[in-house]
Amino acid sequence: MSRRWGMVVDLDRCTGCEACVVACRAENNVPTVGETEAARGRAIHWIRIERYWEGEFPNARIRFVPVLCQHCEAAPCEPVCPTYASYHTADGLNAQVYNRCIGTRYCANACPYTVRFFNFFHPVWEKPLHLQLNPEVSVREVGVMEKCTFCVQRIKAAELQAKAEARELRDGDVQPACAQACPADALLFGDLNDPDSRVAQLARSPRGSKLLEEVGTQPKITYLARLSWSGDGEDR
Amino acid sequence: MDRRDFIKLSALTAGAAGLAGCGHPDHQLIRFLPEESWIPGVATWRPSLCPLCAAGCGVMARVMEGDAEVVRNGRTGLLRMGLVKKLEGNPAHPVNRGKLCARGQAAVQIVYHPDRIRQPLKRRGERGTGEFEPVDWDEALSTLAARLKQVLDDDPAGLAWLSRPLRGGKRVLVERFLATLAAPAPVYFELFDESVLRWANRLSFGREQMPTYTLSVANYVLGLSADFLGTWNSPVAQAIGYGEFRQGRPGRRGKFVQVEPRVSQTGANADEWIPIRPGTEGALALGLAHVLLNEARRPTTAAGTAGERIEGWLQGLPEWTPEAVAEQTGIEAERIRRLARELIAHEPAVVIAGGAALAQTNGLATALAVNALNALLGCVGALGPVRFTPQPESTGLAPPHRTLRALVQKILSRPESPVKLLLLYEANPVFATPPAWQVAAALDRVPFVVSFGSFLDDTSILADLVLPDHVFLESWMDDVPESGTEPAVVSLAAPAMRPLHNTRAMPDVLLDLSRRVGGRLNEALPWKSYEELLRARFDALARRAGADADAFWKQALERGGWWSDNGGTRAAAPRHAAATTRQIRYQPAEMDGSVEEFPFHFLPYASQAFYDGTTAHLPWLQELPDVLTTAMWGSWVELNPQTAERLGIRQGDLVDVTSRHGTLQAPVILSTGIAPDVVAMPVGQGHRAFTRYASRRGANPISVLAPLEEPETGALAWAATRVQIRRAGVGRLVLFSGGLSRFPHPEER
Repeated sequence: MSRRWGMVVDLDRCTGCEACVVACRAENNVPTVGETEAARGRAIHWIRIERYWEGEFPNARIRFVPVLCQHCEAAPCEPVCPTYASYHTADGLNAQVYNRCIGTRYCANACPYTVRFFNFFHPVWEKPLHLQLNPEVSVREVGVMEKCTFCVQRIKAAELQAKAEARELRDGDVQPACAQACPADALLFGDLNDPDSRVAQLARSPRGSKLLEEVGTQPKITYLARLSWSGDGEDR
Repeated sequence: MDRRDFIKLSALTAGAAGLAGCGHPDHQLIRFLPEESWIPGVATWRPSLCPLCAAGCGVMARVMEGDAEVVRNGRTGLLRMGLVKKLEGNPAHPVNRGKLCARGQAAVQIVYHPDRIRQPLKRRGERGTGEFEPVDWDEALSTLAARLKQVLDDDPAGLAWLSRPLRGGKRVLVERFLATLAAPAPVYFELFDESVLRWANRLSFGREQMPTYTLSVANYVLGLSADFLGTWNSPVAQAIGYGEFRQGRPGRRGKFVQVEPRVSQTGANADEWIPIRPGTEGALALGLAHVLLNEARRPTTAAGTAGERIEGWLQGLPEWTPEAVAEQTGIEAERIRRLARELIAHEPAVVIAGGAALAQTNGLATALAVNALNALLGCVGALGPVRFTPQPESTGLAPPHRTLRALVQKILSRPESPVKLLLLYEANPVFATPPAWQVAAALDRVPFVVSFGSFLDDTSILADLVLPDHVFLESWMDDVPESGTEPAVVSLAAPAMRPLHNTRAMPDVLLDLSRRVGGRLNEALPWKSYEELLRARFDALARRAGADADAFWKQALERGGWWSDNGGTRAAAPRHAAATTRQIRYQPAEMDGSVEEFPFHFLPYASQAFYDGTTAHLPWLQELPDVLTTAMWGSWVELNPQTAERLGIRQGDLVDVTSRHGTLQAPVILSTGIAPDVVAMPVGQGHRAFTRYASRRGANPISVLAPLEEPETGALAWAATRVQIRRAGVGRLVLFSGGLSRFPHPEER
């Protein structure tokens, strides 16, 4: 059976530490754009932590939600692309073929999660910062869209490794950079088609829901709700 | 032009460009013979250690081959070498168990930073202008050796060492170096120094060190201004425990209440946030203890020595009724009673106080009150959530802030500075001390300042000679984590890559200097290199463990250090603190500035991206949206919306923040997570000099702080300043746009 990569984000574990955000940038050659361009809304973050403030002082309450590409089954970004640059892989990833992309940005407009980013200019790594670039991930040029790939280079490497060792891929063999860094283990990655994988088990949790489920995108990331404390009735 | 012509033309122009390139020396880089062999595209993983905070996490560096532009023998050329591409947590390391924080993830940028100092420099222009010229190592070291000899002949008291607090082999080396020369002991400085808590732990539990919080065994956590999931103590270890505390134990989800004047990243995760008047956290702890002692009838003796330290404890803290505490803290008496009942109902419960709670003139009393409360709750010890990591060596330091102030006063005491030669290593006190400390003025009076820094920052720009150290991934590294782990740990790592620039490791430079100076130093420091020193330390460890020295060393290098795998040296219970009759009386915190003139309490806080400012030069962290505000590339001031409305200030407005000691300007971010009489600001920006990414960016909250201190340890009370604010115009905020407009889940369960 083919694989279907997915993720579980446990909002009850997430502390908002942003280790995932920097880890993703380091792994995937995501450029920094500098103050001026960031002020124009052109900063690129494949994963971000959203925060929702509720209530007024002193009853303010904040909730963190890490948001990255949801790798939707019915991805709105795919059918709108005139050059088939955004497409669906056999193992369920929403992939972006950079050298097909002509920068219409239709996909970004179609995406309800705003996780697609456009390269408004040639990315710059001031020398010798470029020596850090990961040779397994292409650097995106000016005029193309980019987004989270679920660290496809790590998936491919793990598959090759398993093949070389003549075995099946095991649960936990693949970890995207964000999940690997996450101190509280709030991010978990794996094969949703394997009913015994930890991610498939957790995705069935009663705490689970999908982001903007109602728009019909069928995301492959399940969010586990953060709980309020319910103990012995002494709580607010 | 058709496609074919286009290609022809492109080929021609490209060829011409290539030929033209041959004429320019820049494009004519020679290739040096590689010193090591690499398989293209194959990654090797090598252990190293994160140097960015005192937690001391172990990392694994992913090394792959690449072409680096390097200078060898005065010629620039390309060298195929192993380059670190990515850092991950070291899965075997007991502190961070394979995980890493945002700053640790960004640490790799230090290696490749475009403004790293690439060779030794000597000052050319006026001091502080940042004008330097390259000098070769031999000349630099001869200059320094000559200076050192001169100082030693004159009076060894004229030599001073100033660095961040050191541990492990570096501490041994530096302290022995100075002691042998009969020079004064080293001066250690770091802004968020925890000497108050260490000292309190010594008084309460006989252990002068930071505690290890094992949250995975706790059912209830009460945080008092401690950012323990973000920047405080051992944040990665604590976040791992927090994940378990919430969702790692089926059917048992811990409750977390955070009490602090402004919601921190940590507080944002709490089930309940309770704002408290700044500096009254200790009063709350005593109020909780009062309820436990009087209403829950816990015996006073249950807290042992920790309780005896507190005046009135044995009498049941009669003054500290919830009503009296409510008056001080601003938290209702009924709520205090409920918190106390919850602490008992959900044992094991733990109270964690840190950060701004202890950065007050009454910080020590607060820490002691919390220690006594924890002892009363029975959560301190080998099985409770508060443990102490066994230490192979003494962890006690002379109080860092006090020793720095003493050094400054010594320099300024006479018209001609008695300190003639100052060695500066990984400390930036010009940035991180209040103006009244006069650190910059003092350093300016020292005739010769030598920095081992990799970057020119606010302090090292004053140097006369810069001897750039290797960065951590190029160095032999060792560390002795003080907390965050149950077994004792001595971390160790060989260089993960060869040095990129013409730099030398600071310990090796000290050893070289010893040979040049000769005499007693040669006998006291017999090692040829820092590697040899580390080997000698590990041989001693191997002897103690009864292990074969070679195998022991080899295993430590492979794993990233030594730690005991068996339960033998697990985190230990407190020692019985020395019996004493001395008791500490809790006093209200003293604040600088009157309420009438300076109506707001000023709360600087360790920033998620920059901690105390040491990582502000990394572009990845400059462009990291702050998790609570999404702000990037600058400073901001957090203000309650009601306050802002009253003062006619809107989000993004520039304000003057004025204390009795200075004024700064920053744009405002409105936040409902801050008390109306508190103004908060992250530490980290506002460097006068710190590379192209951080120089003159934003404002430095430390520059308006009052020089109040906790009297017993001399620690800076960095949360004890009052300010006034005034609108000064329209500011500029860089916020990360993007995101969903509302909370994406219908209901929280």
